[in-house]
Amino acid sequence: MGGVENSEPPLKRVKVSLGDLKNLVDEVSRIVPVSSSLGDLMARPLCSQGAEETVGMKGVIKKQEFVKIITRALYSLGYVRTGALLEEESGIRLHSTAVALLLDQVQGEKWEESLVTLHKIGLSDEITVKRASFLLLEQKFFDLLKEENLMAALDTLRNEIVPLSVNVGRVRELASCIICPSQCMALRISSQDGTDANSRSRFKEKLEKLLPAAVMIPERRLEHLVEQALDVQRDACVFHNTLDSEFSLYVDHQCGRNQIPSHTLQILQAHKDEVWFLQFSHNGKYLASASRDHITVVWEVKESDLVLLKHTLTGHQQPVLTITWSPDDSQLLTCGVEEVVRRWDVNTGECLHVYEKAGVGLISCGWFPDGKGIVSGMKDKSICLWDLDGRELECWKGQRTLNISDMAITDDGKRIISICRENAILLLDREAKFERLIEEKQVITSFSLSEDNKFLLVNLMNEELHLWSIEGDIKVVAHYRGHRRMRFLIRSCFGGFEQAYIASGSEDSQVYIWHRDTGKLLLTLPGHSGAVNCVSWNPMDPRMLASASDDRTIRIWGLDDLNYKGHCSNGNGIT
Amino acid sequence: MCFHEHVHGNQEKMGRIFSVNLEGKIYSCKHCRTHVALMDDIVSKSFHCRHGKAYLFSKVVNVTVGTKEERMMMTGLHTVADIFCVRCGSIVGWTYETAHQKDQKYKEGKSVLERYKISGPDGSNYWASHEAHVGGSDAEDV
Repeated sequence: MGGVENSEPPLKRVKVSLGDLKNLVDEVSRIVPVSSSLGDLMARPLCSQGAEETVGMKGVIKKQEFVKIITRALYSLGYVRTGALLEEESGIRLHSTAVALLLDQVQGEKWEESLVTLHKIGLSDEITVKRASFLLLEQKFFDLLKEENLMAALDTLRNEIVPLSVNVGRVRELASCIICPSQCMALRISSQDGTDANSRSRFKEKLEKLLPAAVMIPERRLEHLVEQALDVQRDACVFHNTLDSEFSLYVDHQCGRNQIPSHTLQILQAHKDEVWFLQFSHNGKYLASASRDHITVVWEVKESDLVLLKHTLTGHQQPVLTITWSPDDSQLLTCGVEEVVRRWDVNTGECLHVYEKAGVGLISCGWFPDGKGIVSGMKDKSICLWDLDGRELECWKGQRTLNISDMAITDDGKRIISICRENAILLLDREAKFERLIEEKQVITSFSLSEDNKFLLVNLMNEELHLWSIEGDIKVVAHYRGHRRMRFLIRSCFGGFEQAYIASGSEDSQVYIWHRDTGKLLLTLPGHSGAVNCVSWNPMDPRMLASASDDRTIRIWGLDDLNYKGHCSNGNGIT
Repeated sequence: MCFHEHVHGNQEKMGRIFSVNLEGKIYSCKHCRTHVALMDDIVSKSFHCRHGKAYLFSKVVNVTVGTKEERMMMTGLHTVADIFCVRCGSIVGWTYETAHQKDQKYKEGKSVLERYKISGPDGSNYWASHEAHVGGSDAEDV
């Protein structure tokens, strides 16, 4: 509490109404030493010499502050009588007598008096005092101008406002008002929004904001604290997988586990051999799957979340390794093992072009963000860039990629990402023509790029997943463990609302889901009867996840709740 | 080739095997040609096993490790685990987890590949010696 010398005995708590307080002010202000910062003797409980009363279990909430912000909230809500009653009953005044007086005088437009009172509040910061004085004098100035008392206005400006030496620019504006009074009206109105009443309340707002929070409790302080708490609850909710959620103050927010896909909705059987790769289109309307049977299947995701076969793309002479969707989802690229890259039309299922390089097998592929080019990794470790017609535009030779490597391109087309060494990933900046490396201690088996291109999820041989931040400071920011990987190439991905989750396949035939921020393993989903090689989370529907397995099937996972559509009665919030 | 196909066909559920490619003088799995080690990483060529010669390597790749067990070898008790080719699953040798005698500690973390199970850098294969050790599990020499 303030450093008030307790030379006088504490005043008895006097039950007075706010109106009567004005009469007591003079008495009080004589007794209270000017240097007190919170000159609030009337409120001091008898027992509190030094010890502060607290509320709450942890003893961190000061009772006085707590009551004051409640009082403030009551007044803000319009419950003036209740607010006053609270002040009376608790004996804790919202404002110190000086501040209450100031507010009163401001209300009554008594500028001279309010200036005097301002200095009695005992603000320690001189600048604040000056600025507040400026505001008050400004009002005085405007009032004088209104009365057309130009001389007095000028006098105020010269002898009271200018010596403050703050807000010099504004002073000039005020000076111009004297010369041109009509402009002044415009100025006053423009700076203070509309009618006199409005301008007055805005000025009060400014004044209140200027004074330190302990002297003048900020408006809506209680609401702000509650909103902060809700933010914390929401961040802590690991199952939070939905945009529309209601928060209740009665119970801590905690989404149930049933917000994350965990239930097999469909088993898609179309492949005749292991399914190695699958991915949803950007718009979430299609799913493409690639298999050791040399075939790529395009599935359509219907409104009802039903997934139906649309096309079977044949042509590759080798198992299909990877698929990439064009930026507008109208075309697909598929790559065969050390073979060729094929471009397909999603609507017709036709093969539009075959990309190959004499004597060199292709091992990966990616679309250029503008949809006008193709990037492909070669068996000879180089990376080539072609235009849609197959003309080679650029080629990066040397060890840029390995026999098994994913390929990713950032959405701005600037960076190409590829595994270039057993334990290193290359971040190749096309424009700046320079390269950075992500280096691991273990062998890297695959990776996945986040939607915002700021993070890379790296799969390691030792069954760990590392989340790397690749923007600015390149470093590992999270680890995920639990899934099994001994012999195969297993893929993982980002997904869910705001990509708050990490999903992965596993050799134990389950799908694994972690909470991205905390690294906590949330779910393991059994169902497949073979290793799960790849997972893809629908970018447009955080409740849909697809998995590809050695058991030749694809599973579509959804919420374990019949009413999961969620916009209806069940609600999405509290369990 | 025939044998290779036979092995390949047998693998019902295999997934996309992840294997690394080595550069240099490479020893590979005799059955499926998956790279397993580099000549530069040979520590000793004087090891023996039931099928004949074996080499001690400081590093091997593309193998899966079996269960650990205590084995009594000519040089004493060791904790070892068999190692298998990641692609075709055939056994290629064993790896030393722990050596219980001080002078054998240098083997820890290293692996032995049986010459009979791997193809050499020049593609050469090794045929089981007729003078194989009588009776006994894989032994070795220092």
